[in-house]
This record gives sequence, structure tokens and C-alpha cells, in this order.
Amino acid sequence: MKLSKPIVVRLLIVALVVWAGFVGFVWWSMRQPPEVFGRVMSRMPAPVVFVLAPFETLWTHARAGALHPGDPAPDFALMKLDKSERIQLSSLTARQPVVLVFGSYT
Amino acid sequence: MVYILEAHPSDVWQMESNIRDKVVFASPKNEEDRALVAGACVRKLGIKFPAVLDGFGNATERAYTGWPDRIYLIDAQGRVAFKSKPGPFGFKPDELKTALDRLMGNGRPVGRVSELAPNISVGWEGYAPA
Repeated sequence: MKLSKPIVVRLLIVALVVWAGFVGFVWWSMRQPPEVFGRVMSRMPAPVVFVLAPFETLWTHARAGALHPGDPAPDFALMKLDKSERIQLSSLTARQPVVLVFGSYT
Repeated sequence: MVYILEAHPSDVWQMESNIRDKVVFASPKNEEDRALVAGACVRKLGIKFPAVLDGFGNATERAYTGWPDRIYLIDAQGRVAFKSKPGPFGFKPDELKTALDRLMGNGRPVGRVSELAPNISVGWEGYAPA
């Protein structure tokens, strides 16, 4: 069966619109709280997302955040895991530079 | 280390690799649960530098957009000297090393490295996401 040119063009346009909608949905989900994004991702086959959407580029922009080099670091006072003391960032940076590594186990 | 909410808890977004590695945890339901998972994380990964626990409201994570993982270097004036791209793709300890060298004076330290990462070259390998 040979498809006529207008039908091919229409199919391409439909495919493009569907793809743009999919990428837009992935982008939206990346900008939601982590739990929401995680639930969305858990319902989508990972290869589909990674192949069909420019995942890393979207992720880098969606999770860019508002802090930039040169900005004052937001202060915090958090308890050490061993509960020996509460660490205040500003009291550390008053003496020396500080490395912050954000992360979890999984 | 700032321990924040889990990236792949079993009740939200379970990863095959976590099952393989037997790192399976459901989302902590309270601060005490979170501290238990955080303790396991630090012990099993052999993290040597001090670890603090983000509150259950995730205020610090939100202020720094730290989830799922991210590296910052804060200078002695309390300003952001380096901010990695978001993990896992942007979690690159080599970039931190470059930033540290630059901040500390091209490899000639002008002060002590932070107490938060005294063994930074030791701890990274076990911590970096696959």
C-alpha cells in the first residue's frame, strides 16, 4: 500500500505533536516534587523515556535550581547522624570552605 | 554529606540495580526512620566525612535543589563557589576537585580543607552513583 504525500505529512505532524506532548509531560514531571516525579517514572518503561526524550538535557534544566555560583549559600542547622551536635553551615564557612554532598542510599 | 530523601525508595520508584545490590528501602515514614536509613547508607558506603540529616520537610534539599544527588563548594565568605549539575548525570567529583584547586589557590592550599570532607578522595569512589 502506497500512502499519498498529504497523508504522510499529516502522520508526521501527528507524530510530532504526540512526541512534543510526551516531552512536555516528562519536563512537567521533572519539575514536580521528587515523589511525584518518581511515581511518574515508575509507570513508564525507562528505555522509552530515555530514547524518546532528551532526558539528560531536560533533567539538567528542570533541576537547575535557583542558586548560582556567587550567591550566598542558604544557611541551615542540621543534626549530625550520630546526634552528637547540630551543625550550622554558617559557623563552618566562617572558618573555612565547606563541601556539601547531597545524596541518599538508593 | 547532607542525607536527603531517598532517590529510589521501593514504594515509589524501585530500581533493578537496587534489588541486585540488596539496597531496598521504602520511603521513611518519619524522621526516626529516615535516620535509620541514613545510618545504613553511611555505614555501608563507608562514608568517612561527617553526615547530617535533612529535616523531614526537606527544607535544605529544596533550598539547594539537592535531589537526587549534587555537590556544592561553599567558600569562606559563605558564597557558592561551585555547584554541580544535578545527579546522577552531573555528579562528577572531578569537577569538585578542579573547583577546590581553584579556590584553594592552584593546589597551594591557603587554608584547611573543610571538616565536612577531610577524606574526600577516599570517600568518593564508594559513593558515586553507577
